[in-house]
Amino acid sequence: MEHLLYLGTLIAVWVIVALAANLVIGYTGMMAMGQAAYLGVGAYVTATLNILLGVNFYFALLLGAVAGALAAAITLLPLRRIGGFYFALATLGVNFVFFDIFHNLAPRVEGSEGLYGLQLPGLFASSGPRFAATLAIGVLCVLLCQRVVASPLGRALRATRDRPDALAALGKDPRRYQMVVWTFAGALTGLAGGLYAATLFYIDPTLFTLDASILILVYIGVGGLASTAGSVLGVILLIAFNESLRFIGLPSQFVGPLQQAMYGLLLIGLMIFRRRGLMGEYDFRE
Amino acid sequence: MLASLLQVFSTGLGLAGYYALVAVGFALIFATLRIFHVAHGTVFIISGYTFFGLHRLLGFDVFLSAAAGVASAALAGLAIDKIVYGPVLRRGGGMFGLFIASLGAALIVEAGFLAWTKGVVSVARTGMLDIFVVGDVALRGLDFGIFALVAAAFGALYLWLHRTNTGLEVRGLTDNADLAAVVGVDVRRTRNSIFLVASALAGLAGVLTAYDTGLVPSSGFKTLFIGVVAVILGGVRNILLGTIVGAACLGLLTAFAGFFFPEWITFTIFLIMIVLIIVRPQGILG
Repeated sequence: MEHLLYLGTLIAVWVIVALAANLVIGYTGMMAMGQAAYLGVGAYVTATLNILLGVNFYFALLLGAVAGALAAAITLLPLRRIGGFYFALATLGVNFVFFDIFHNLAPRVEGSEGLYGLQLPGLFASSGPRFAATLAIGVLCVLLCQRVVASPLGRALRATRDRPDALAALGKDPRRYQMVVWTFAGALTGLAGGLYAATLFYIDPTLFTLDASILILVYIGVGGLASTAGSVLGVILLIAFNESLRFIGLPSQFVGPLQQAMYGLLLIGLMIFRRRGLMGEYDFRE
Repeated sequence: MLASLLQVFSTGLGLAGYYALVAVGFALIFATLRIFHVAHGTVFIISGYTFFGLHRLLGFDVFLSAAAGVASAALAGLAIDKIVYGPVLRRGGGMFGLFIASLGAALIVEAGFLAWTKGVVSVARTGMLDIFVVGDVALRGLDFGIFALVAAAFGALYLWLHRTNTGLEVRGLTDNADLAAVVGVDVRRTRNSIFLVASALAGLAGVLTAYDTGLVPSSGFKTLFIGVVAVILGGVRNILLGTIVGAACLGLLTAFAGFFFPEWITFTIFLIMIVLIIVRPQGILG
């Protein structure tokens, strides 16, 4: 039961991350390959403020989201000047750069590689309420994203993806929408980072490597680009599937590689047979 | 101080040799076929591990094992093109589709080696490396060997590209693939040659790395991304000279960064990549 609650909490956290990534990649067509960087910023800011400075957890969570948004906005400023494939590569570079920053500069608890010892308030202190609270935040994020993509802003985002010239001809700057959605996704990812730290109790830099960015890509690739329901479904299916791998009685050292190989197969299979994923409205073009 | 700087310089040139071998094959594939071949790093470790397995574990002769390593790389590269890229292209996948499928292939192979080696470093050589002392400077004999091999490989590549019919066709694909097909270039055959040659070069780098510092399963991704940065640094259009210049810059930079601030190597490399993509996307010689 404890483990199921933990899994549910984890699913809620990754749903938020996937929603944010899907807003950027699926709805706006910006190939973000380094979202794990902003997840790490949120997690580290929340954990550092809470553990080392004693800031209230909720306030730290909020500041984590703000930090995620700031990190996203600042990194996008130079990246806006490049397009297409080089943009994807540069976001990947951002992921590597942030990993080194976490690795070398982020505070750590004496004698370990990372941070632990979050002072969690009542709602997050035990697994049952923590699941309920994280789920509630996740559902709020889903509703928020649905509102956003159904609004005129959402239409402008899709226009930024499909017809940036037409959007510009209407006197609206596509680059402004890119900045808005990128920052918003950064805030959501940063928020998820704080919740992630609360779920795991322990964070270290290796959680925010290229592997995590690839994982995000797999989640929304399976669920479907430009689909809010797809983001939710992809995360639930893959985490459930991953868990089921534990029960086939493989020696534990093979579980990790097996999961990785399955992700690889899924990516290839998707690109060959169903580029739009399960519920996607858009696919990996170009 | 001067002596140690000279030593760092020679290490940097040795590193540049590995990078150049991986980068030139990547550039060849990217410039001619527009495939962002992430699995090029996979080819690199396949060769390294074949060499390691034959030489260190089974005790075969060094040169025989090395040749087998290079051959396994060439075949693996061709196989990835046939099994993964072929189907993706036939079903209308584009550049991002190929990129993600390539990522998938790389994940699968890496997972296999991870399960086999459990992530422990595999060094193929059994003895110590020869060290020459000239005055105050201690130089590694292997760095000279690498230098000679890389020079020979690049010489052969130059002759292949500029003195043979296949080479002419490859250069034709770089300039204008459609036109090359129209004037009767057998694109499929040329494509096979490109994959074989490019993968063999990465295979040579894999054998040398396995002999020198050893491999871990994640070496593939790491080396590939450094190779990509070298290509971007030198300029994608200028396959031979561009990658040599890019790899030399990166090799020296890595060596000096490793000497002065070892924790920040990745940071330095990718920051330079991002800055360069923004300032001069066509590369130094592009």
